[in-house]
Amino acid sequence: MRLAVFLPELLRSLFKKPNTVDYPFKKLDVPKDFRGTPFLHPEICIACRACERDCPAEAIEITSVVEAEKKFKMIIHNDRCIHCAQCVDSCPTNPVKAMEIDHLFETADFDRHNLKMEWEFVRALPKKEPKPAAAPPKPEPPKTEPAQ
Amino acid sequence: MKFTIPIGPQHPALKEPISLRMTVEGEVIRDADIRLGYNHRGLEKLAEERTWIQNIYLMERICGICSHSHTTCYVQGVEKLMEIEPPKRGLYIRTLVAELERIHSHLLWLGVAGHEAGFDSFFMYTWRDREVVMDILEMISGNRVHYAMNTIGGVRRDLDDLQVKKILDGLEVLKKRTEYYFKIGANEPTFVARLAGVGYLSKERAMDLCAVGPTARASGVTRDVRKDDPYAAYDETPFDVCTADTCDVLGRTVVRIKELFESYKISEFLLKSLPAGGIAVKAPKRAKPNEVLSRYEAPRGENTHYIKSNGTDKPERLKVRAPTLANYPATVEMLRNGFIADIPLIFAAIDPCICCAERAVELVNARTGEEKALRFSELRKLADERFKNPSLKRNAVWPF
Amino acid sequence: MAVLKTVLYLLVYPGILFLFVYATFCEWFDRKVYARLQNRMGPTHTGPWGILQPVADFFKLMSKEDVVPEKADKILFTLLPIFGLAIVATAGLLLPIWHSNEAVVRMISFPGDIIVLLYLLSLPTLIFFLAGWSSTNFFSTIGGTRVLTMLFGYEVPLFMAVLSPAILANSWRLSEIALFYQKKPLLILPNLLGFVIALISVQAKLERTPFDIPHAETEIVGGTFTEYSGKKLAFFRLMIDIELVVSSGLVATVFLAGFPGGLWLGLLNFIIKTLFVIFFLSLIRALTSRIRVDQVVSFAWKYLAPLAILQLLVVILIKGLLL
Repeated sequence: MRLAVFLPELLRSLFKKPNTVDYPFKKLDVPKDFRGTPFLHPEICIACRACERDCPAEAIEITSVVEAEKKFKMIIHNDRCIHCAQCVDSCPTNPVKAMEIDHLFETADFDRHNLKMEWEFVRALPKKEPKPAAAPPKPEPPKTEPAQ
Repeated sequence: MKFTIPIGPQHPALKEPISLRMTVEGEVIRDADIRLGYNHRGLEKLAEERTWIQNIYLMERICGICSHSHTTCYVQGVEKLMEIEPPKRGLYIRTLVAELERIHSHLLWLGVAGHEAGFDSFFMYTWRDREVVMDILEMISGNRVHYAMNTIGGVRRDLDDLQVKKILDGLEVLKKRTEYYFKIGANEPTFVARLAGVGYLSKERAMDLCAVGPTARASGVTRDVRKDDPYAAYDETPFDVCTADTCDVLGRTVVRIKELFESYKISEFLLKSLPAGGIAVKAPKRAKPNEVLSRYEAPRGENTHYIKSNGTDKPERLKVRAPTLANYPATVEMLRNGFIADIPLIFAAIDPCICCAERAVELVNARTGEEKALRFSELRKLADERFKNPSLKRNAVWPF
Repeated sequence: MAVLKTVLYLLVYPGILFLFVYATFCEWFDRKVYARLQNRMGPTHTGPWGILQPVADFFKLMSKEDVVPEKADKILFTLLPIFGLAIVATAGLLLPIWHSNEAVVRMISFPGDIIVLLYLLSLPTLIFFLAGWSSTNFFSTIGGTRVLTMLFGYEVPLFMAVLSPAILANSWRLSEIALFYQKKPLLILPNLLGFVIALISVQAKLERTPFDIPHAETEIVGGTFTEYSGKKLAFFRLMIDIELVVSSGLVATVFLAGFPGGLWLGLLNFIIKTLFVIFFLSLIRALTSRIRVDQVVSFAWKYLAPLAILQLLVVILIKGLLL
């Protein structure tokens, strides 16, 4: 047993840069596979409701707006979302998933209704042969519509 | 002068609510009593309402530290019920994440032990270095706490070469740091004086009281599910079960540090002999009526899930026995005849995860102090009543 | 003019205002050094480099709700923080920093003031004990008894260590001791052992790690301060900060040859030397883990007290042979 074994390490770090990231003032980088907020590509969605069925937090809601026109409405309740990305795994569209997840993690809000995201879309036909060209490479960010 | 001091349900030494009632004489504890039930979440009942897939994420939320342990335990059981066999690569990745989680959990525990002993520098340094393994886990799985790596029939994400290299680099750093902490833990006189001889639990008592995990292994009991009943890729992985025979908190610290080294070894082996192939097989929606008991060696000890299926896409019954619950009787034994100053250390030495172990509810009459534990049948009746009146609306508006 | 100077002495420098400003600065220094030793940042955002953080903490506490337990002795409970603050502030006046005029010198510097200073520094311990005892909370009571138990450990080594330089200087007056070592700086060296003992004892007196047993948060919540809140807690915290300044000032006076150089140079000397002492105190805080109360007493009597006696012997031998 020796006295003051920790001393050299302590003194060394006195002259080292602090290891802390000054977080809210300096932004953090997240890895490329980070699970952030889920969003929908409405032009590819076939409204199969696989994501709605598998979502463990019941955060996804798909309702039919106009039955005849195959018009659907999808709501993602981000206040309930637990960011597990099971919806992305469950989504059967190929090769571009209709459900995807982005890197957004600072989603706090004062009102839970502001966290709701809505899309109204016409159901895409399930394609036997997937056409990647049909899907835009970079989807525009999902539009957030606060509830009334 | 004998009096009872309450430790908890709210106390700085406890990060979660539990009540320890100590009968002390001066600074010496004469008797201890543990009361549970402050954080019962009704998880098991909730699990009966969810599908097999949804339950993975529910199980993950039993515990924040050993989230992978609970999902793996559950998923292994469900795989047996569904009679599917995950591919080799999937099992290897599952084992790798399990070992990385063990590293993160043990480093966290080292820091907590330092903090409980008032050694805050040690706490800061171990937690700083824990960030390395947290970043690795975030890189692999996409989240720092709830990895969500498991799915029924394998894992959800694959590893590429760059990631493998990054993990190996990170492990190299961690190995060096752990050696340093081992040196400090064994040499800093004030720290060792606090740990040695504290919380004695003899080998016989450890066996009698069914202690699990590092608590049992520090008392010289060679008990490790990874060795005794290998699951995932452990039957192909060479590793040793670490034990100590000092039977005190120092022994538990030494066991955990040694296990860290074993975990580095296992992770490196797994990464270097990662088989090619798929990571998951497709799982059916339903499971045949059957029952299974799944065992898993979580960082804190043996974790068991009992799962019963009835042919639908939901489990009929899911019973979780978290390792902390198994260690409570041993804790009472350890606390007896110790000092008040040692309560946090002894209690922290079992690495308690109180929320995980909340499977009981105790009703206390605030006026008379009368205590009543609810039997399972009564609890079930109450729960059924609650679920028959569906106040749970999917689109319930926040009440304000 | 003399009256004005005395009032200035009492209220501004080195009286309560200076002590407040400097004590908060010392707390900031201590926190910053402690944080940097642990590779953290420490206070950052209040004022430049977070220098106003302790002041902000103080005023925040002052504005908080003040709760007095129903069963507590209300008068004692309320008066103790004020008494404590008054005692340490008085002790601060005895430090030989700057003597404005003869009247002040006669008032605060006299043969035996080192004993008075040590006595005034012992009183806070009693205050802590009474504070713990009068709150009638289990944790406070245990904290209070721990305070007293520890007192029996560190007080004797501290006295012996601090008095050995006084014996060598052949004076019981702080300013004369300081003057003696200013004239013969080499004689500081034989007191090095005493310096180390005094540092450890002061650490125990200030209840900092490894001796933060009376308010070990993981064991007995806030210890003696469990029931204190609001203004009273703010006073107690300020009191501990001032006690830190005064104790380190005492150590600097007797072991590091005091603070020569009149008003401005003396102030500079004071700041440098006390910060030097506080740095060591922070280092000890970062270096060790909390020990048990029985370990404190046995450590103090097994190691500290014999070493202090050895120091006394060395001093007496040097005095007999060389002077």
